[in-house]
This record gives sequence, C-alpha cells and structure tokens, in this order.
Amino acid sequence: MEALFSWQRFWADVPLLLPYFLVTVKIVFWGIGVGLVLGIVLACLRLRHLAWLEPILHIYVSFMRGTPMLVQLLIIFYGLPLVLAAVGVQEAVRWDKMVFVYAAFALNETAFLSEIFRSAILAVPAGQLEAAYAVGLTRWQAYRRIVLPQAWRIALPGFGADFIALFHGTSLAFLVGVIDIMGRAQALGASTHHALEGYLFVALLFIVCSLGLRVGFNYLDRRLAYGR
Amino acid sequence: MAFHLDYFLASLVSGLAYLPRTLLLVSLPLALGLLGGLVLAAFRVYRVPVLGRLTALGVSIYQGVPIVVALVIYNLLFMSLFNDVAAFFGVATTVAEVDIIWVGIFALALQEVTLMEESFRGAFYSVPAGQREAALACGLTELQALRRIIVPQLVPVAVPMLMNHVVGNIKNSSVVIAIGVAEVLTGASIPAARTYSFLESYVAAGLIYWALATAAEQLIGQWEIRPEARQSSWFWQVCARVRRRRTVTVAQQEKRGQVHAELEAYQKIL
Amino acid sequence: MLSLKHIRKSFDREEVLRDVSLQVRHGEVVSILGPSGSGKTTLLRCLDFLERADGGELTLDDLHVDLAHAKRRDVLAMRRRTAFVFQNYNLFANKTARENVMEGLVTARGVSPDEARKKAEEALAWVGLLDKAGEYPSRLSGGQQQRIGIARAVVLDPEVIFLDEPTSALDPELVGEVLNVIREVARRGIAMIIVTHEMAFAREVSHHVVFMEGGRVIEEGPPEQIFSQPREERTRTFLKRYLTDSNMYYI
Repeated sequence: MEALFSWQRFWADVPLLLPYFLVTVKIVFWGIGVGLVLGIVLACLRLRHLAWLEPILHIYVSFMRGTPMLVQLLIIFYGLPLVLAAVGVQEAVRWDKMVFVYAAFALNETAFLSEIFRSAILAVPAGQLEAAYAVGLTRWQAYRRIVLPQAWRIALPGFGADFIALFHGTSLAFLVGVIDIMGRAQALGASTHHALEGYLFVALLFIVCSLGLRVGFNYLDRRLAYGR
Repeated sequence: MAFHLDYFLASLVSGLAYLPRTLLLVSLPLALGLLGGLVLAAFRVYRVPVLGRLTALGVSIYQGVPIVVALVIYNLLFMSLFNDVAAFFGVATTVAEVDIIWVGIFALALQEVTLMEESFRGAFYSVPAGQREAALACGLTELQALRRIIVPQLVPVAVPMLMNHVVGNIKNSSVVIAIGVAEVLTGASIPAARTYSFLESYVAAGLIYWALATAAEQLIGQWEIRPEARQSSWFWQVCARVRRRRTVTVAQQEKRGQVHAELEAYQKIL
Repeated sequence: MLSLKHIRKSFDREEVLRDVSLQVRHGEVVSILGPSGSGKTTLLRCLDFLERADGGELTLDDLHVDLAHAKRRDVLAMRRRTAFVFQNYNLFANKTARENVMEGLVTARGVSPDEARKKAEEALAWVGLLDKAGEYPSRLSGGQQQRIGIARAVVLDPEVIFLDEPTSALDPELVGEVLNVIREVARRGIAMIIVTHEMAFAREVSHHVVFMEGGRVIEEGPPEQIFSQPREERTRTFLKRYLTDSNMYYI
C-alpha cells in the first residue's frame, strides 16, 4: 500500500488548488459587501421599532442566527430560484448557480451584521448624541459624524470575528457542488485516490489566512482606538 | 412553484426521528469541550510553563481550520488508519463496524475545546484582579478565593457564554453530513430522495434546528432571570420543587449560613 | 432676553417640573440651586430639547418657541443659538480636543474649516489647553475635559450657555480650574444658567439665584439676599446643610 501522505503529491496539488481560492474570495466579497449594506439598513430599521415591520425582521434575524449556515445554503440554493420563478422572474432558473450561493451568504451576513451594528449603536453613550444636538447638529449629522464612527469602532472586534466566520463558512459551499478550493480538493482526491494532501493544503491555507485576518483586525483595533 | 405541505410534514417527521442523534452530536462535544476548555484555559491563566504556551499556539492555529475541513481530514485518517491501529492493539473490530458518528463527535469536540478555552479565559479575566487580592487580604487561601469569590462572579458572565456555545454547537452539528453521518438534516432529506421535494426537506430541517436553538436559548435564559423575578418563571418553580424534595441536614444548613455571613462580610469590605 | 414661562414636565406620572418660569437678561449669570431631584437638571435639558417638556413657552429675543410642540426647525434654531455644558463633559470620544471644539462651527454653523480651526485654537488657548489640541478625550483628566467642554460651548458665540452641574463629576482638586474658566466666561458677558452645588461659587459669580425644590421655584433673588436673608424656611434649611458641608470642598 502506498503511503497515506507524500510531500511530492502535496506540492503537486498546490498549483492545481490555488486558483480555486478565488471562488472562496468571491463568496466572501459578495457576502460581506451585500451583507454590510443590508445589515446597516436592517440595524437602522430595527432601531426605529416600526410596529408592523419589527416582528418580521425579528423572525428573520432569529431564523438566520438560529439555523445552520449549511441548511440556509441548501434552502436558498434550491429554493430561491423557485421563489423567483414563482414571482415572475422565469429566467432565474437559468442564472449562474453561484448567484444563489452569494445570496445565501449575503442574507446570512445581513442578519449577523445587523445585530452587531445594532448593539454597537446602542452601546454609544446617550450623552454623545445629546452633546451633538447641543452644538446644533441635526439628527443625520449627529449620527453620521459622532454616533456611527464610534459605533463602527465598537463593532470592529465583532465584525472581525464575523468576517473570519464567514470565511470559514465558505468551505461549506462544496456541499452544494460549488468547485471552490474545497470542492477542487475533493475532486482531486476522488480522481487520484489521494485526498489527504489536498485537504491538508486547504487547512493550511485557511490557518494562514485566518491568522492574517486576526492580526489585521487587531492592528485596526489598535489604530482606531481614539487615544485609548 | 408549489410547496407541498404533505412532503414537508413527511420530512419533518423523518427529521425528528433523527433528533436523538443530533442531540448526541451536540451534548457530547459540549461536555468534552467544557472539560477540555477549562483545563486548557487554566494552563494559560495560571501560566503553566510549556503547556500554557503550547495551548496558546495550538488554539490559535486550530481555530483557523473550518470545521468541515477538519471533519473530512479526520474522516480520511479514520478510514485509512482504523483497521491498522485496531489490529496493532489486537482489537477485532473493523472500520465498517464503527458508527462514523464518533468521527463527527471527535471533530466537534475538538473545535468546542478551543472555543471554550477562549470563553473561559475571557470570563476569568472579566473578574477584576482586585477581587482576588481582596480575598487573599482577608486571609483566604488561593483555592478559597477561587471557589468563594471568583467563581461566583464568573457565573453571570459564563451563562450567556454557555448559551452561545449550545446554539453554536446545534448549528455546527449539521456539517457532519459532509462525511455521511445521519442526523436531523439527513433524516429530513430521506423522503426527498423519492419525491425530489428537497426544498420542503431543507425547510423542515431548518425549522427543527431553529426550534432546538430557540428552546436552548429560552432554557438557559432562565438562569439569567434575577432572583426577585424567579417567582413567576415556570423553570425556577420546577427547580424550587426539586430542591425542596432534597433533605437538608442541620449541619449543611449551619455551614450555608456561615458561608452567607462570610460572603456578606467580604462584600462590605470589597 | 431669555424668558421661560409655565414649563411642565413629568416622567411616568411623576411631576418633575410644575409650572416653572424664569427670566435671564443679557449677560446675566443665573444660578439654580436645590436638592437633588428638584428638577434643576431636567429644566436645563428641556430648554435645549434634550428632554421634551409637556408644556411651556420659551422666548429668546426674537425666537419664540412652544416647548411641547416645537418643530424641528425651531429646535435646531434654539440649539444653534445656545450651548450646553454637561455634567460628565460628553466630549465626542471619536474626535480630538480641537475637533471637538470645531465640530459645531463646521457642521452646524457652516464655518470654513480653516477659520474654525483658528477659532478653536483661540478658544483652547483661552482655557489654557492649546497644548492638548491633538489629544483624544480619553487621554485627558476630568478637569481638562470639562474645560474643553466649556471651550466647545463658548466658541459657538452663544447667546446663553446652560451648565448642568459642571463640576459635580470632578475630583475636588480639579474643581478650581473649571470654576476659574466659568468665571472668565462670566467676565466676557455671556449669559449663563448654571445648575450647581458650589454654593460659594454661585454666590460670587451670579447676578441672580433661583432656589428650586419639588419641581417649583421656591425663591429667587440677588445672591446676597438668598444667601444672607432667605425668606423661605425650605431655602434656609437647604442652605444651612449645604454651606456647612460644601464649603469644605470649595477651593
């Protein structure tokens, strides 16, 4: 029997796998990008406590936070095309499948980021808003110039943790057939009967990137400390 | 699009039949994580030579590995090595005879250990150093200070933390389908293999996980209810009834009173 | 110049202000004294719309506002003609000392950044903290923060400044530096309403003293009269207790 692991196969796998990391990066990009915008909108909507909307938003956030990412991915990947077709967007069924993967991660991020921003805004002391009003700022000016910059600062550690969680979460996408770096490693393993090297490289890549992201966020955290 | 209610219900029933498996995948890693996390956190908090450093390094590296990646690696190693290892130890079991759920439990437990380690450490540092110093100044030993002053103050921090871990683990448990472990998600998908009603199956599975997570949140949330509000909580009434059934000896009562008096004295000093 | 009429305010059925009326003339310093819970702070907060009064009228020269039903425009106009100094300073945590002082000028008044910077530095120099212009509030002592809070108020050239217990959150040894700055503001002829527990300071700096209790004005008049010959029994009891206690702290 051949050895379970060989360095030779490991190095041979690297160029075959690395290009597929781009798929992972794309999922993170769309997940964070869309999630950030919708998350802030959602946080602001929830802070205003709109009577008719609040229960719906509450249920949405609770479902997204209370169910596995994998299940959400499966529901959105298989369900969203059908829902879109039902409301008249017939061609949705023929769209690039990746759109629905991006949508799944973005909708998940929306819920998580909205909670992070909501609690961050609530954590800014009320006196900051009052002082802004007292020097004559309007509500919008006060939020834009005083409250949100401080909230952003408070949200940063949570945002960093969430970013890394999303990055890790993308590794689930191969379970719906996405050929990202994980999917490629699996396919490579199936064709060569040597999967370990590929998976170990994926693990290593995730470790390095995660550590890098952590260091980066810690640096930002210190940089933006407003003198503290 | 048609959402078939009967397929959905069939999936719900089929998924619920696998609930015990999911509960096993949640509870066992949680218990192991609690234990392992506490030990590792102690290594770091008390700066145990070598072990403390190794823990710090190991935890931060291991946290970089997504659970599903770890899972497929463990599964691969398990599949390729189990027979040889079993033969080496003279065990007459083959890989086909072992329930693969143990691989899932192993992977989830290891992940939980690293997460718990971080939480425990955070909770420990949330108690100001002055509390320990004050306890020592009152003449308590290091162990007494831990048991009577620090740990009681850890509880309010640790409870919401525990809740996060329970909910997190419920959600994490579904990834074991990547290596073919049967649990709620798999169970809910069984009817879909015949009817192709995958959406109904996944929604059913989602609802089960959601209910489980919400129930866990509610249950643990009860611990956070302030003493004066406990009268109106069903959970605490049940607890009180259970407690009343236990007989309390006079000696125990005396000891309890003494501890109370001591604690009050400390509170005044602190 | 500033006149308040019939101000009422309740929190959850608890009446905090019951028909309070008050006059402040140009350049006049008015001190409001009273036990805690007497409604002094709430009164100030209502004037700047940090709290919405249930009723009452406010006239600031040509600006006439119904406190309960003021529109956004009136609220903003009132805030842009007045300034507020908070008990716990409330310096903007995300801005340096200089930026704190500039914020109202640039964003609310539309002053150009260059001119605002010049004015801000003048104001900082005036409170003796020009060397701290680039520091964030978290790096400054309470006394320094409050002096910057006062600079932030004065730089807006307000018609009246509301000061809500400006020295209550300070360590005793830092009270003096802040009181000195407030004395300077008075000397400049800017009208102020000060809620304070510093009796000796109130007596020295005010033109007019108001004693409040239970949400009502019990007695008001020139400081000599209030402090030396208070007419009301409640004023007398309050002063007796406070003058013995607080004079020890006054530096």
